[in-house]
Amino acid sequence: MPALVSKSLRDYRRALLGWTIGISAFFGLYLAYYPTIVSNSELYGQVALTKFPGAMRDLMGGLEDGFTSGPGYLQTLVYQLFGPMLFIMCAAVIGNRAIAQPEETGTLELTLTLPITRRRLVLERFAALALALLGVTTVTFLVVFGLALAVGMDVPADRILAGHTGVFLLALFFGTLCLTVGALTGRRGVALAVVGVVAVAGYVVETMGRDVDGVSWLRWISPFHYYLDGRPIQQGFPVWEYLVLAGAIVALVLTAIPAFDRRDVGV
Amino acid sequence: MTAVVETEGLTKFYGGRRGLEDLDLEIRPGEVFGYLGPNGAGKTTTIRLLLDVIRPTRGRMTVLGSDPREAGVRSRIGYLPGELALEGRERAGDYLAFLGAVRGGVSRGRIAELAERLEADLAVPMGKLSKGNRQKVGLIQAFMHEPEFLILDEPTSGLDPLVQQEFLAMIREVRASGRTVLMSSHMLAEVEHVSDRVGIVRAGRLVAVEDVAALREKAVRQVEFHFDAPVPREAFENLPGVRDLRVEGAGVRCTIDGRPDALVKAAARFTVVHMVSAEPDLEEIFLTYYSDEEARHARAGVEEPA
Repeated sequence: MPALVSKSLRDYRRALLGWTIGISAFFGLYLAYYPTIVSNSELYGQVALTKFPGAMRDLMGGLEDGFTSGPGYLQTLVYQLFGPMLFIMCAAVIGNRAIAQPEETGTLELTLTLPITRRRLVLERFAALALALLGVTTVTFLVVFGLALAVGMDVPADRILAGHTGVFLLALFFGTLCLTVGALTGRRGVALAVVGVVAVAGYVVETMGRDVDGVSWLRWISPFHYYLDGRPIQQGFPVWEYLVLAGAIVALVLTAIPAFDRRDVGV
Repeated sequence: MTAVVETEGLTKFYGGRRGLEDLDLEIRPGEVFGYLGPNGAGKTTTIRLLLDVIRPTRGRMTVLGSDPREAGVRSRIGYLPGELALEGRERAGDYLAFLGAVRGGVSRGRIAELAERLEADLAVPMGKLSKGNRQKVGLIQAFMHEPEFLILDEPTSGLDPLVQQEFLAMIREVRASGRTVLMSSHMLAEVEHVSDRVGIVRAGRLVAVEDVAALREKAVRQVEFHFDAPVPREAFENLPGVRDLRVEGAGVRCTIDGRPDALVKAAARFTVVHMVSAEPDLEEIFLTYYSDEEARHARAGVEEPA
């Protein structure tokens, strides 16, 4: 493994451990409630859900399957909003540690004076980000898979894998966005703000856009569209959508490299 | 032999603010070059340009014969930043091992040897290093791969006097082995004993480059003679280089510019019982440069037509 990749991963170790435990605990808590929800289907069933205002149902992902079924529950409570948001936060934290944070604290200066080109620095920090998120995703996938089995949730492993792959790509997209804004500006506050705005706006546009014609045309630029629209938990791998996310990640990296290569660092 | 650093019209503006303008600088192989100037004069800007951390507005430069943008050249450079930032829970020793590996390999033994010399504790997590220890870690990483060219930005700040002596000894060793050093400081006293030449930068411009030996020669020296009997004032008047002459009985006090030859010969005609000659205060000459330069700029400002 290239020195800067392994060094970065070593630096991220604690943060990654924390996020993995946190996200696993979150998933565990929600999945543990599943049996209670199923046994009270008159409270949480389809009929009860129709009482929610339409716009709110949209924000929660439509609730078409309700959440008394395994896939519906998993989709609505884990893979719809909270799961991705936790992963995105984790990705933004790690994404900022690629360039913007060490630049602001001053530790990037010595790294830059190593015999490593700036292009390699960006690529290796991106590789570290991807591997870090892959680690968190893999562990949390095993947790969700294990718990889904334990609580008797009737969701096949490949669907959970499809959902988790989507979350990984979405997180990597936002982590890379954070890295790229950091590469452009060197400011972690700016990078976090951009990630926050794109994530919230992207989510709202994608979910509200299903029913509101005025914004529905915006859905195609929302990163969430390429994760949620394919409904991975219900329908399996949305290959094209995921490829679009992967393409967007590559485009961001290709933006970050020349931007960072051209810039004065630490001024 | 080609120069270690060569710049021509090197200029850096931060937006509209001048960082450095039209720097023509040559650092020769094997010399220790002291780069002097007050804070904010452009020393760090120059150093960051040489290391490709920032990019010049215009002008050109070579470092060890190549463009600083070529990353490979940086493995032959050792660099100590002016404000070294080290943080996190990683032990200082592990960080040094990482830096060494990227620069092409440095043995643990070499790192331990330097740590012992500077009395640095490398088992401490980097975020918990004291200011002095942080500077020591910075020095170790700059010296450990035995680079051809050392760039040290304010290397002695935060070091206690004993460690400073050890550091100066390390610089002398580097020079003795024919390698080159660029070290910046805002105090001449810190670099005069190891530097061959000093460059003085002020408000983004290089105002003078001087040989330290020549600077010493220009130095103003306080000299005092005590004789066994009162001496006539006339014997010491109008000697070349002698100023502020005071003759009081058997004592003569004066300041001299440059060589003390004429004064010594004049004094030799009497019986000298005691003589005091203070070390030349280079700091004073250094400040004279500054104030002259300032005065000239001020005059130019006044004379300039509106």
